[in-house]
Amino acid sequence: MSRKILYVQAIGEAFAEEMARDERVFVMGIDVTRAVFGLTANLVDRFGKERVRNTPICESGIVGAALGAALTGMRPCAEIMFSDFTYVAMDQIATQVGSWRYMTGGQYKAPMVIYTLDGGGMGLGYNHSGCTEAVFQGSPGLTVVAASDAYTAKGLLKAAIRSDDPVLFFGHKALLGQPGEVPDEDYVLPLTKARIVREGGDVTVVAHHLMLHHALGVAAALEKEGVSVEVIDPVCISPLDRETILTSVRKTGRLVTVEEGRRTGGVGAEISAVVSEEAFFDLDAPIKRVGAPPIPVPGSAFLEQTCYLPGPEDIRKAITSIL
Amino acid sequence: MQQGREKLVRLYRLMFLTRRTEETTNQLFQEGKIRTMGHWSTGQEAAGVGVGAALRADDCLFPTHRAWPEFIGKGMSPRSIVAEFIGKGTGCAKGKGGLHISSAEHGVVGLVGSLGSDFPIAVGTALSAKMRGTDQVSCAYFGEGTATQADFHPAMQMAMLWNLPVIFACVNNQYVELVHYREVISFDNLIDLAQGYHMNAIPVPDGNDVVAVFDAMSEAIARARRGEGPSMLEIKTYRVAPHFTGDTGAYMPPEEVAAWKARDPIAGCRARLLAERALSEGDLLTLEKEVEAEVREAIRFAMESPHPSVEEAFSDVYATREVVR
Repeated sequence: MSRKILYVQAIGEAFAEEMARDERVFVMGIDVTRAVFGLTANLVDRFGKERVRNTPICESGIVGAALGAALTGMRPCAEIMFSDFTYVAMDQIATQVGSWRYMTGGQYKAPMVIYTLDGGGMGLGYNHSGCTEAVFQGSPGLTVVAASDAYTAKGLLKAAIRSDDPVLFFGHKALLGQPGEVPDEDYVLPLTKARIVREGGDVTVVAHHLMLHHALGVAAALEKEGVSVEVIDPVCISPLDRETILTSVRKTGRLVTVEEGRRTGGVGAEISAVVSEEAFFDLDAPIKRVGAPPIPVPGSAFLEQTCYLPGPEDIRKAITSIL
Repeated sequence: MQQGREKLVRLYRLMFLTRRTEETTNQLFQEGKIRTMGHWSTGQEAAGVGVGAALRADDCLFPTHRAWPEFIGKGMSPRSIVAEFIGKGTGCAKGKGGLHISSAEHGVVGLVGSLGSDFPIAVGTALSAKMRGTDQVSCAYFGEGTATQADFHPAMQMAMLWNLPVIFACVNNQYVELVHYREVISFDNLIDLAQGYHMNAIPVPDGNDVVAVFDAMSEAIARARRGEGPSMLEIKTYRVAPHFTGDTGAYMPPEEVAAWKARDPIAGCRARLLAERALSEGDLLTLEKEVEAEVREAIRFAMESPHPSVEEAFSDVYATREVVR
C-alpha cells in the first residue's frame, strides 16, 4: 500500500523511522527543533532535545562534531540549512569526513549524513540559492546523492542513515511541497544507482532535482512532435552510475545533461567526460550541457528567472539542437 | 612517595624514548633515506608526554603535528609510529596516513593536516561519549598558533553549552611556524581565551616540568570524568627544534635557544630523579640503554618493512563498497 505525502514529509518520516529503529541516530544543526524548512518538524516532541540537537551557528563546527560522534559509535545527521553554506564547512566535508577512514587505514569509519537543500527561484540571491553538489564530486570517500521526489527522498535518506559511509544528501527547496506516492512499509533505495524515469530512443537526458521535472515535461511535449526522449535521474552525483548512463547513450546516440547549478565544473561536465571517454563512437551528435551561467545568483527574482535559472525552454532547445 | 617515584620514572622514560625516536628518525632524513616531512618536538617533550600519559587508552586524543610525545605518552610504540610515518605497510594505518598518524587501539583518533579542524571533531567524540554513557574523555591538543583557527570558537562554545568531557590543551611553544607567536597573536597568554567561554582554566606556567603537566592534565581529566565539563590548559614551553625538517630555525635568536636548552625538560627530569634518589646513575644508564635498543629495533623494523601493496591504495576509501577506478 502507498499514500501521497509531500517531499518534506517524506524526509521527516525517514528521520523519524530511522531514529526509532536505531538509538545511535540523531539529528543536529541550526534550529532543528523548530525546523525552518520543516525537514525535522516535530521530531523533538518524540525524541527529545538530546537527539534533536540545536547547535550554535557554525557549519564547520556542526559537521566536525558530527564526524567525531560518527567515529566513536554514533550515527549523526548534520543539517546544513542552505547548500551554499556547505562552503563554510568545506574542509570538514571535503577533507576530513571523506578521508578519515582512508587516513586511518580502515581503523575508523564515519557513518554519518550531511543533509542540505539546494535551489533557487525564491528571489533569495547569491548566498541562499545555490546548488553545490557538483563541488563534492572530487572529494574521495563521500557518497553524494540528490533526491528528486518524495519516494526517492525517503528511500535514499533511510539508506544514507544506515550506510557505514558518510553520505551527502541534497534535497531541493522547490520540491519540498511536491506530493508523491510513498509506500506505507519500510523501504530503502540503493545509494549509487541511477533511475530511468522515462524510456525513449532518440536522445538521453540526465537531470536531477527540479530540472528532472522540467525534463519530463519537455519529454512529454516532444513526444507529440515525434521525438522520443529517455530521461535519467542520476540519483548519485558521486560516484556516478556510469553503466546506466552509458547504456542509454549507446542506445540513443545523443546526450543532454541538465542541472540547476553552473555548467562550469558541473555535474554535466563529469557525465560528459565519462561519455566522451567511454562512448564517443556511439554518439551521433555533440553532447549538450544545460546549466546556469558563470555568474553569481542575481538578487532580482526577475533576473534570476530570465538570466540565471535553466528552464524547460533551455532543455527543449538543447534537445532539438542535436536531433 | 612510591607512586610519585614510579610516575617520575615512567614520564622520564617516555620523554627520553620520544627524543631518541625523533633524533634517530631525523638521522634518516639527514642521510636522505626517507621522503616525508618531520616536525620534531625537541625541548617541548614534557608537554605532549604529560598530556598523553595522563589519558587512558580509551580516551580520544587529537594531537598536534609535532605529535610524537603525545603518541608515546598515550602508549604507542616507536615501531608503529615510525613505520607509519615513512609510509610502510606495517604502520598503524597501513602506510596510508603517513605523517598523519592514528591508532584506534590507543585512542589516537587521527592527526588532521589542516590543524584546528579537529577542535569540533574532539567535541563530537566527547558528545558521543556522553550520549553513549561512558566516562571517556576527549582531548584536543594544539599549539598556540592553531588557537586562531576558526573552528576553535564553535568547539569551545559547544563544549561549554553541552558540558562535555573534553579538554583543550594548548601547548604554547612560542613559535607559530617561522614567526614568534606575538607577531601573529595579539596577547601573551592563550589561557585568557577560556575566560570568554567561562571555561575552567588551568595554566601550566612551567611546561618543561613533566610532572606539573601530568598533574594539571589529570586534574582536568578527573573533572571531566565527574561530569563537570570541559577545561582549557595552556602549557608554556619552547620549541627548540625548528618548525620542520626543511627549516634551519635561523630566525630563532641563538641566546633564546641557548637559554631554553638550559631548561631542557629531559635533562631536568633526569637531574630530579637523581636528586630525589628515585634512580641511581646506574639505573638511569640501564633504562637509557633499553630505550636505545627499543629505538634501534623500531627503526630497523620500519626500514625493513615492505611498502604497502598496490591494492592498498584503493582500499578503505569506503566501508561499504570498492572504489570505482
